[in-house]
Amino acid sequence: MEHGLFISIIYAFISLSVATIWGLLLGGIALKVVARAHGRFGPPVWQPIIDIIKNNARRTSISHGIMYFLGPVFRIAGGMGTFLFIPFIFGSSVFGNFSFAGDLFLVMYFIFFGQLGMALGAGESGHPYSAIGVARGLSQMTAFELPFALSVISLVIQYGTLNITSIVAAQQGGLLSWTLFTNPLATIAALISLQGMNMHNPFSIVIAPQEIPIGPPTEYHSNFLGLLQTNRGLFNIAKLALFMNLYFGGATNIAVMILKTFLLYMLTIFIGASFPRFRTEQSIRFFLGVPTVIGILAVIVIAYL
Amino acid sequence: MVNPIYILVIALFTAFLLPVFDKMGRKYSLGLFFISLAAIFDITLQLAWQSYNGVLKANIFTAGSIPPFSINLRIGGIETFLITTINFGALLAAIYLIPKFNEQKVYAMMLFLTLIAGVNGLILTRDIFNVFVWLEITSISLYALIGIRQNHKSLEAGFKYIIASGLASAFLLLGIIFVYRLTGNLNIDMIAASNTLLVTKGGLTALFLIVIAFLIELKPFPANGWALDVYQAAEPGVSAMVASIVAAGFLYVFYKLIPLLPIYWFDILILMGMLTFVFSNITALKQKNAQRLLGYSSIAQMGLLVAVLLIIKRFPLHNDLPYNLIYIAGALFLNHFLAKAGLFWLAGIIKKDKISDWSLKGNPTLVIIFAFFVFALVGLPPFPGFWAKWVLINRLAQYNLIGWIIPIVIGSLLEATYLLRWFGSAVKQEAAEPVKLPLHKIIPASIAALALIMIYPAFANSLVNTRIIFQIPLLALAMMAILNFLPFRLQGILMIAALTFFGWYIFPLAEGIVKIFEFIFIGGGIVISIVSLNTNIKRQGYYEFLLMLILSLAFIPLAKTTLEFFLVWEYMTISSWLLVLRGKNGEKPALIYILFSLAAALMILTGFALSFAETGSTSLQYLRFLRHYALPVYILLAAGFLVKAAAVGLHIWLPGAYAEAEDEISPVFSGMMSKIALWGFIMLMGIMGTRALGIFEISNLLGWIGVITAFAGALMAVFQEDIKYLLAYSSMSQLGYMILSVAMLSHLGWTTALYMSVTHLFFKGMLFIAVAGLVSRVGTTKMYEMGGLIKKMPVTFISVLIAIIAVSGVPPLSGFGGKWLLYTALLEKGWFLQAGLSFFAGAIAFLYLFRLIHTIFLGQLKAKYREVKEASLWYLIPQVIFIGAIMAVSTFPNLILKPIMAAVDTQFTSSINWEGYKVITTLGYWNGNAVMIITMGVFMVPLIWLLSRVRMVQKVEQFNIVYAAERPERPETTHFAYNFFSHYQKAMGFLVNGQVSNFWNSVSEWFHSISSMVRHIYTGNSQTYALHIIIYIVIVYTLLGVN
Repeated sequence: MEHGLFISIIYAFISLSVATIWGLLLGGIALKVVARAHGRFGPPVWQPIIDIIKNNARRTSISHGIMYFLGPVFRIAGGMGTFLFIPFIFGSSVFGNFSFAGDLFLVMYFIFFGQLGMALGAGESGHPYSAIGVARGLSQMTAFELPFALSVISLVIQYGTLNITSIVAAQQGGLLSWTLFTNPLATIAALISLQGMNMHNPFSIVIAPQEIPIGPPTEYHSNFLGLLQTNRGLFNIAKLALFMNLYFGGATNIAVMILKTFLLYMLTIFIGASFPRFRTEQSIRFFLGVPTVIGILAVIVIAYL
Repeated sequence: MVNPIYILVIALFTAFLLPVFDKMGRKYSLGLFFISLAAIFDITLQLAWQSYNGVLKANIFTAGSIPPFSINLRIGGIETFLITTINFGALLAAIYLIPKFNEQKVYAMMLFLTLIAGVNGLILTRDIFNVFVWLEITSISLYALIGIRQNHKSLEAGFKYIIASGLASAFLLLGIIFVYRLTGNLNIDMIAASNTLLVTKGGLTALFLIVIAFLIELKPFPANGWALDVYQAAEPGVSAMVASIVAAGFLYVFYKLIPLLPIYWFDILILMGMLTFVFSNITALKQKNAQRLLGYSSIAQMGLLVAVLLIIKRFPLHNDLPYNLIYIAGALFLNHFLAKAGLFWLAGIIKKDKISDWSLKGNPTLVIIFAFFVFALVGLPPFPGFWAKWVLINRLAQYNLIGWIIPIVIGSLLEATYLLRWFGSAVKQEAAEPVKLPLHKIIPASIAALALIMIYPAFANSLVNTRIIFQIPLLALAMMAILNFLPFRLQGILMIAALTFFGWYIFPLAEGIVKIFEFIFIGGGIVISIVSLNTNIKRQGYYEFLLMLILSLAFIPLAKTTLEFFLVWEYMTISSWLLVLRGKNGEKPALIYILFSLAAALMILTGFALSFAETGSTSLQYLRFLRHYALPVYILLAAGFLVKAAAVGLHIWLPGAYAEAEDEISPVFSGMMSKIALWGFIMLMGIMGTRALGIFEISNLLGWIGVITAFAGALMAVFQEDIKYLLAYSSMSQLGYMILSVAMLSHLGWTTALYMSVTHLFFKGMLFIAVAGLVSRVGTTKMYEMGGLIKKMPVTFISVLIAIIAVSGVPPLSGFGGKWLLYTALLEKGWFLQAGLSFFAGAIAFLYLFRLIHTIFLGQLKAKYREVKEASLWYLIPQVIFIGAIMAVSTFPNLILKPIMAAVDTQFTSSINWEGYKVITTLGYWNGNAVMIITMGVFMVPLIWLLSRVRMVQKVEQFNIVYAAERPERPETTHFAYNFFSHYQKAMGFLVNGQVSNFWNSVSEWFHSISSMVRHIYTGNSQTYALHIIIYIVIVYTLLGVN
């Protein structure tokens, strides 16, 4: 660690707060966009922030058990951990986070930490919708991870490192040195995966509002839900930051970060707003089809051509 | 010295004296009968003693003159060995037949004695006409003895024998006449010395007639229908004699004739022998009748022996002809002699015609005897057949006769199939009524069994390459069997103590990578064995085989020579197979398991033999000097290890074996035994590196096999409803990663493989133990029948939770280290697509892991499990130890990474740097310690927040959920568990729809179809059988090119 422990924690706190607030706002914007696409007016963009304040202010006296109780904790710890292992803003010591602990693979696997814990917590509630949602979510996850993994492998071959900071450093020096342009196939494969990761249409079967209320978190309420919603904002930013770093040249200051994550997010929102929903097996087949082939091509092109 | 002619004299003289004594009463005649047999045996013992001291005179001239003017007998080493064996066998056979002798007229005894005289004469005489005389004496006695049962079937069989034997005798006599006409001589040695005979067409025809007669007597395929009927219909005691004593006589005469044969006949005759071996075994596959089955097996063994004798004579190597004879033919013969006679006697004890009616459960004496005979025939150590097979295959490779190894391997496997299938079904079946154990029957069978195991040191000692400590697994088995009288739990404690002592003794001897494996086997063995202490109810064979298995595993990495390796490998195979067989539904999985294991063992054996043929050394290190045979050896060994690793396509034995073994044994299989395949690869690649196979590198191919195994295993695990099957497939998948890692042949790759194998022991051992505890309470292994058990079994839940986090590779637990190392190693190596596929497989693992924990512990609790308690302490102790181990290596990865890397440093130069807890490779870095601390930190913050906000929590009732304002009816309808990943099945299920099982099923089906087809030639009609013989003679005549 370059700084003292205390300073690191302060920096991490700042970094987390910025990310969470921006993430929640992005969520609000998304709601707005979707509403407009539906011809509705939609809630204000700060609605998610109001929601978490409201939910966290509420008290509950109901719990289904220890694992149920720990579920949201796992979830947000997963979100925080994932975020903290990613260098948020290139060259910034405040937003450098704890990326010294591990490389790209650590981030990719830490994403599972929260999902697994949350799935377990939801499971203990005993609600069948939770289990159904988790089964769908996990199945879909395996499928979209494949093109993403191939894309990352292609990147590692390209840059010869697993270190996210080094990958960002290699993309400095103009628009054309971004991975988007130097390795378009990998970027395309990863962006399709991102759509699945964000569970936007056509890959929203996991939370499928009309069928299984909201999937895994069905039984969560008040504080629990508050934590989950907070995580939704933070985790969104973590993913976007990862993609920004890997494919879009990273960010050297907050403004660039906000712009890039905004555009990236809007891409998935627009696609989401304009597509209907896949069934689980359809989305599995989809991801294992064209996106995987693109991923394989990305690897082959970079490695052997 | 004693003149061996007295053997013949005593036998014949007593035979004629018996009726006189019988007038005084049966007691007297029976007494005289046994006295004469004892006297004969005494003479043979004296001869054997003289032979051992080297003072035995070789030639005995009768009638006071030398050949060709009189008949001479020869008594050399081989003859002594044979007559000792057969007269010993005769004594046992006579004991077995006592009641028959009592109920029959005195003729039975007389016939018995003349038969013995005949066989002894056949062995001793060197005069070809005298051979004919003894043959007739033997045959005539035998026709009558076959009829001793006095039902129409045995009489018919005796009649068929007369026809077949009569045909053979007629040809023999014709041949002898021609030979005498051409050479003016009847002495075999003198005929052999005169070359005139061989060059003329007439001479060849004469020789052919003699040889074919004895070939017919040795029951070659397919001209052997009559013999099968004899084996089936005769009294088991008589069948035993036909299979052992009489066969010995004929076989030796055939051996005596070999020097007369022209060299170009050998290959055809070897082929005839091999065909008999393979096709008799194939035909036996469909056989339901016990005695007929044994008949097939006897005929097959005779075919093999004929081939082996010819091969030994055909390709004498330097001066070691006696060595080969003793170690191959001698051991094979003795093995067959004792085991087959014993099995026929056993058939007489059980008295069940159909093999499916055999039920030995609860009768340990019979089970042990049966096991000895069957194992000996299959060629498992420590029985003579094992050594014979070892030397035989080695020699065949050395003579460059690799083609002949194939029929031997196929035939052996087929023989193992029906024998072990029979054994499995017999020991698993509860006896309807208690089996009577008459003394006169059980004594000969037990003595034969004992002899089989006592002869073993004679062979093992002479094979100087095996260090005696490699017999420790066997001694451990014997020791535990002796301690069987102790309370069961005490036995377990003693076993753990023995393991601890052994570990303390062996650990300092191990170096480098071997040390890591000893840690897995001994350390894992000690911890996992604690589980077995949960019960004090005795289980026959449990600790015996368990200790033997663990010790065998521990010895395999210590082996320095191919024989040591193969010996303990076989010990491991046997003990693990018997442990699978002990499982409640273990019969079928055990059979599949042992067949695959034996096939693997035979491939390894052949690989070693080829290595010996080229380098002339059995040292494992000499594998590196291979040039000519390098590729086949590499492929054979790798294939053997792939079977053991249950690589995709060869994996169908694994789920059944792991899942149907007892719950306490499954963790040993998965956590420990699976690693032996990994050791095989490490040994192989450590010594031989990689080889090019056409345009491919083999290591590259193995890497792909590994990753596809990882993928297929994971995918199949997703669709299992049975928790043990799920874990079994998961093990297969994990082994796939390890093969992939080893195949990389890089520092990072091997570090990954070893790191994974240690952590896999922790978490998979723990999972299987947790499941064992779980099953001990809920009594089912079907996951959907459980649910909501978290509150009932919290400790088990925690260990499963930790284990699944570790298996899945989610940080901060140790599994992530494995994944990180794997991907880094793969990318460093340049195996990019493999990395992609293993990432996919890793993601699929989440599916089955979540299902595992969710359907068992989460969701809705079933009413019938409301009262379930936590598993007993014996299950929890090892789990807690493993949890401790996982947490330790997760927080301080250096604990295992440093020693592993130090061990791998001896093989490859390291590409890894360290900065405190940070591992740095050329590509990336990982600080396990920091990850753990940060994870703890980010976990504690929201936890404290939530705890401060949510106070006075009340636990709600089971059905208090948001359920459209309704209350769910029953937990069964609310617990989402069955066919959990149906959508995954729809999308991906087609990949694992049982294609591999179908393939192996059809392989089995083909063999059984061939078996049914071949069986059609055995019509039971004696005219047809006679026709078979004639056609056979014509065919052999043509093939040999006599005219």
